[in-house]
Amino acid sequence: MASKASRWASNDDEDDAAAAAKIKKEKEEKKKRLKAEKARQQLQLEAERQAAQQPQAQQPQSQDDDRDRPMKRRRLSPEQPNPPTPAATSSDSSKLLRFESGAFGRSRDVEEYDKLNDIEEGAYGFVARARHVSSGRIVALKRLKLDAKARGGLPVTGLREIQILKDCRHRNVVQLREVVTSRLENIFLVLEFVEHDLKSILEDMPEPFLASEIKTLLLQLASGVAYLHDHWILHRDLKTSNLLLNNRGQLKIADFGMARYVGDPPPQLTQLVVTLWYRAPELLLGASRYGQAIDMWSVGCIFGELLTREPLLQGKNEVDELSKIFALCGIPTDESWPGFRRLPNAKGLRLPPKTGGGGGGGGSQIRAKFPLLTAAGVELLGGLLALDPEKRPTAKQVLEHEYFKQDPRPKQEAMFPTFPSKAGQEKRRRRNDTPNAPVRGQQVKELGAVDFSGIFAGREAEERGGGFSLRMV
Amino acid sequence: MAHMTNPLATPDQLCALRHSPNSLPSELADLVFFQTQCLTQAAGLLLQLPQSVTAQANVILARYWLVEGLMSYEFSDVSAATIFLVSKVSSSPRRPRDVCNVYAYLLSPSSTFLRPPSSPPPVNNPKDYYLSESAFHRFHSRILNLESRILYALGFDTHVSLPHPLAITYLQALDFLGTPKQRISQSVLRYLNTALLSPQMLYLTSQPNALAVAAIYSAAKDTGAKMPESEWWEVFDVDREELGFLVVGMRSVQGYMDKLREEIPVDGRGKRGLLWRKDVQQEMARRGLEISIPNNNNNSTKSGDAEDEMMRLMDEKVARMEEYD
Repeated sequence: MASKASRWASNDDEDDAAAAAKIKKEKEEKKKRLKAEKARQQLQLEAERQAAQQPQAQQPQSQDDDRDRPMKRRRLSPEQPNPPTPAATSSDSSKLLRFESGAFGRSRDVEEYDKLNDIEEGAYGFVARARHVSSGRIVALKRLKLDAKARGGLPVTGLREIQILKDCRHRNVVQLREVVTSRLENIFLVLEFVEHDLKSILEDMPEPFLASEIKTLLLQLASGVAYLHDHWILHRDLKTSNLLLNNRGQLKIADFGMARYVGDPPPQLTQLVVTLWYRAPELLLGASRYGQAIDMWSVGCIFGELLTREPLLQGKNEVDELSKIFALCGIPTDESWPGFRRLPNAKGLRLPPKTGGGGGGGGSQIRAKFPLLTAAGVELLGGLLALDPEKRPTAKQVLEHEYFKQDPRPKQEAMFPTFPSKAGQEKRRRRNDTPNAPVRGQQVKELGAVDFSGIFAGREAEERGGGFSLRMV
Repeated sequence: MAHMTNPLATPDQLCALRHSPNSLPSELADLVFFQTQCLTQAAGLLLQLPQSVTAQANVILARYWLVEGLMSYEFSDVSAATIFLVSKVSSSPRRPRDVCNVYAYLLSPSSTFLRPPSSPPPVNNPKDYYLSESAFHRFHSRILNLESRILYALGFDTHVSLPHPLAITYLQALDFLGTPKQRISQSVLRYLNTALLSPQMLYLTSQPNALAVAAIYSAAKDTGAKMPESEWWEVFDVDREELGFLVVGMRSVQGYMDKLREEIPVDGRGKRGLLWRKDVQQEMARRGLEISIPNNNNNSTKSGDAEDEMMRLMDEKVARMEEYD
């Protein structure tokens, strides 16, 4: 237990608890607002129905209404001192839903940010940590790789990434703040800075995540993926190095360089997507029409990786990957995956002869490979790694899965252990060191007024949970 | 909500377009806007793009002009660049060569584009619109340059929500007002497509739900369909005032444009319109006015900005190298 305590011994905990409490409060307020909105809409519908029932009685009155009704159309000339904001109009107009909308204008210059340090160089550009000069906010700047000689103009992958991230707003999807340029030669995505990526945490952590922590991570991943799929977005490159984790235990899906909008039925798409180790069998077999299930396969691979701290299916090439998949998940049969033989690359596939009936030697090895996983966990992992894409659960079904309802329950995000951030250039503390002085000065300042009741609620749980020593504020 | 809303023009942006010191007289600006949007539509047809893509290009073009001004680049170049850009991020991308060929044809005397309907049909002369390798290279470079310029001007936000699908959904909710489905739907879509061409920039001042309701209202008036007697537009979150404004705006495009066009003389190529910036200059001279063709954005709010200055120098250089022949 004592060795576990060091996982917690971090000076960030107060901040995290406070931040979590704040977020929780905001969320509750938002829920309330949404409820009020809904109620208002319902009232409106009710009123409409009544109006429709007695049009004659309503007619003269509605004309009266019109005369003193305030002007609600957007003013189009700037002469009026205060063009009405959406908030103002919605308060005096009774019942119409006003859509909040942004404006459009020029990109700002990258000079508004001070570069602090490089984070990494990926296939689609390099990423640096930077500070917004005027606000002091820390961000990640991702430079799009541009090929000046390319006669196709800006790369479509970069444009898609910008377009998709601009449309997304979810707590488990990394937030794009703006796009800045430097003399039109370089284009930078200004993303929220997140301290870690899951891959380096898994590589560096002395012991694997607890079952409760894995559940929290997986739930967040599934909730982000559910949001994307709900909005007709395929990520197409889910892997641990594209999943970010902040010091408050929040997971964020990043790197949308492969992502794209799709329709239903899915359009013809390229099979050259998803990093090999996370690539679904139907892609390896050359399917050109695929869907959300390919992301769910990657989620399954990530699940396995969280359990063992090692990528689950490390194939050396496409063929090796496929054989590793079959070794783990079983040999596909016409029952387990109807129609797989019709896929383009399945023709050259020579499968080992089946011994006896079904199951037997050709069956799934997932149970054997993860002896410590509960039955519900095996059921979920096996479902995500089903060879037949039709049989994989959707992200929404994952969220509802029994695995997350069983003990140990998913750990609260605020209770997550913290790690030294490679991206933020923090050194790994030795495990028995006394905690260092707070590093993240800016963030403390930003907190302002917080609801302290939340902290203490968290504290009590913390005390009961691990028997950790509490530091006084 | 992002997929149902659009970023809208600010009052300052709308005002600057008409009242900044370097702006065109409003009839000329209106005509240029209308024509260039028609050019985009014609190119979309020849490129066999879905109307959803071409319509988005129309909206992106209008937004761009609002930020950078009408005269900053050659009209047809901006049109071609928006089509290229929007098709690229859509599911029906078009090759630069195809885009360039289509514009070369539309701008040539051989096409019927901008030709008064009364005049005899043009003689098809392929030499008019043959694009040599070097001419293609120059056109292509201008498009690529403008592509970045447009993205920069719009803060890289290429999101456009169109009202068309909403309008059909609303029609279904209204049970097609008791009229044959196809007839009223077509009429509604026509109004929405015409509104794309309106120099009032209706797509930049109203959200898709309002445009959809206004188109349904107009179509219902035309076909004599019976609308609900209550204030049904409020169910779709549109108030009476905005509806009235949009209905007038949508119904007036055709008449207003016909009137403006009549005042422009037919040029040597048999076309009536303001195809190039120098046509605008000539027309201004004819009216005793003067305007210089800027080689930069003429937005005066950010004067002295180092980057703008830099862009200006670069653009001047490009323009000198790539004069039209």
